[in-house]
Amino acid sequence: MTTAFAQTETPIVKLVGVDKDYHLGSVIVPALRDVSLSIAAGEFTVIAGPSGSGKTTLLNLIGCVDVATRGDVVIDGADTRQLKEKALTDLRLRSLGFIFQSFNLVGVLDAFDNVEFPLLLQGKLNKVERRDRVMGLLQQVGIEQYAHHRPGELSGGQRQRVAIARALVTQPRIVLADEPTANLDSKTGTAILELMQELNRRGTTFLFSTHDPRVVSRAGRVIRLVDGQIADLNASAEDVAALAAGAH
Amino acid sequence: MNTIVQIAFRNLLQHRRRSLLLGGAVAMVTLLLVMLSALLNGMQATMLRNGTTLSTGHVNVAGFYKITAGTAAPLVTKYEALLQAVKKQTPGLDYVVTRGRGFGKIVSEESSLNSVLTGLDIVHEAGFKEVVQLAHGNLDELARPRTALIFEKQAERLHVKVGDNVTVSSQTFRGVNNTVDVRIVAIGRDLGMLSSFNCFVHHDAIRDLYELDSSTTGAIQVYLKDAEKAAEVAAKLRTDIEKTGLRVMEPQPQPFWRKFDTVKREDWTGQKIDVTTWIDEMAFMRYTLNTLSALIFVLVTVLLVIIVIGVMNTLWMAIRERTREIGALRAIGMQRGRVLWMFVTEVALLALAATATGSLLATGLCLGLNAAKIVVPKAFQMFLMSETLWLVADVPTVARSLAIIAVVTTLGSLLPAWRASRLQPVKAMQTAS
Ligand SMILES: Nc1ncnc2c1ncn2[C@@H]1O[C@H](COP(=O)(O)OP(=O)(O)O)[C@@H](O)[C@H]1O
Ligand SMILES: [Mg+2]
Repeated sequence: MTTAFAQTETPIVKLVGVDKDYHLGSVIVPALRDVSLSIAAGEFTVIAGPSGSGKTTLLNLIGCVDVATRGDVVIDGADTRQLKEKALTDLRLRSLGFIFQSFNLVGVLDAFDNVEFPLLLQGKLNKVERRDRVMGLLQQVGIEQYAHHRPGELSGGQRQRVAIARALVTQPRIVLADEPTANLDSKTGTAILELMQELNRRGTTFLFSTHDPRVVSRAGRVIRLVDGQIADLNASAEDVAALAAGAH
Repeated sequence: MNTIVQIAFRNLLQHRRRSLLLGGAVAMVTLLLVMLSALLNGMQATMLRNGTTLSTGHVNVAGFYKITAGTAAPLVTKYEALLQAVKKQTPGLDYVVTRGRGFGKIVSEESSLNSVLTGLDIVHEAGFKEVVQLAHGNLDELARPRTALIFEKQAERLHVKVGDNVTVSSQTFRGVNNTVDVRIVAIGRDLGMLSSFNCFVHHDAIRDLYELDSSTTGAIQVYLKDAEKAAEVAAKLRTDIEKTGLRVMEPQPQPFWRKFDTVKREDWTGQKIDVTTWIDEMAFMRYTLNTLSALIFVLVTVLLVIIVIGVMNTLWMAIRERTREIGALRAIGMQRGRVLWMFVTEVALLALAATATGSLLATGLCLGLNAAKIVVPKAFQMFLMSETLWLVADVPTVARSLAIIAVVTTLGSLLPAWRASRLQPVKAMQTAS
């Protein structure tokens, strides 16, 4: 359903024939080979694959924190290979939201200030608008009562909720998350996934990676990576089940 | 951006021990710089006040008289007309005195010593009473002929007290030995270097000693309302005096006693006028001050290098700890410049707080030490030109010290902050927690 809808729009993310090599001294490590894919608004997509298959590398390229060795990476209409560092940073601020595996909140700022921070970087909203936006999001992720707690005073699950609110606060075109549940226990991880699904139903586009088959089963669409290559652009429920079975 | 300052401030608080340690060191160096600068200021102020009152005017109209080509006497002959001209032509004049110049041996019954001899007319010496604190005697008595004022240390060496007579002996400019007896009417408190080689006698005693008539003096010392204008006034007087037909010597930034040899070698005879400033006359004391400020500069530079190394180390540590946080901020769209700014701000805040603390402490300490009138060891009195410690921590000095230390400390953050701003945002995406 999502896919059919997606194809009618210009994709937010479009990769064509992308290679990524890492250089370890004189050795070239090919991390991605000939990856082509596109992601449209409203999708809830998982990049699944074993450890070392290139998930993080792929997300880094889409997240504009790294550039491809070959091929085109087009994010929100911009060809990232043409952009300088400053413009890439700006693109990240404008169009992308990030949720990190280890939350990476600013330790000395409370939840409210952490979530508000990208808005301050953008400098578009006034104080009242920012406050409304931030409190609204903290409410959506269910931690408005912790608005004035610092990360150190919050549990892992609560911190990841703050991180999700921070990623959403600028209303980005797409939210990226590299194994967002890996540092959470399975119950908290499930709750975070359900939250992301809920936010997706309200319109946010998600793309995240995981190697946990239980997480894969909740995805709207699954892109399977094996050895840096796309094995399946839209794995079926059976594939997912098989994957899950294989993992156990 | 306000939040950047907030992050910086809170991170300083978060790492209290580290901040206190570094901040304490910065505060101490600031304190040291302020105190040493205040000491230098105090010396300079004392030098200006005491030096210009005791041994030189702000501007001196003096010179040499040569009977024959091979001699040189520090005299101004027929000075009365010149004195009137100087009084009329000096802008911003406070007052003028005439002084006799000489050098000789002071002999008491038990001992003797060599000293610069300065002849003065105490009634005209407006500033003298404020500078010379008497241990014994009465300064007004110096108005009587054949009287002298010496200083405590000299009195000690000569074993004399007020009322005693001493004999002053010297060679006249014609090469004959001559003596005069003077009565000691006052003994002044020591004023370091200025008082150890100098004693004051009634002007006529100098004239008698050197067999000079009353139309001759040693120097016309001009006191201005603003001593800073000395060079300007000297230049003006030089041309004015030249216009009256007197010969004027080329300006030479040296005290008069350094000029004897050169003048002796010159082949003119008669009178030449030399116009100098207190800065020229006290070149040696200025050398002392310059040496001291050079030492302070070296010391503070060394300490600042240590501070900068400390700042860099501390900041490396902070950046290492917050690598993932920085990476995350870069990933969510914080520009490199802002990351740099964040860390520079952190150090700048610490530097400001620390230098302000150090300055306040130093200012308080200076005021306290001045009030306590601490008597410095004899050896230091020589250089301080005063018996007690006198520290001048004025606003420009404190502000300058604060600014120097704060700026240098903050500059120390630039390299680590720049490195932090170059951190790859990918670092945040990598696991390592
Ligand atoms: N910075 C790097 N330098 C060299 N090789 C790397 C680097 N990052 C990842 N790789 C290699 O690239 C491949 C893909 O890694 P990665 O994208 O991290 O996979 P995943 O996230 O699926 O575990 C692996 O073989 C990994 O060893
Ligand atoms: Mg990974």
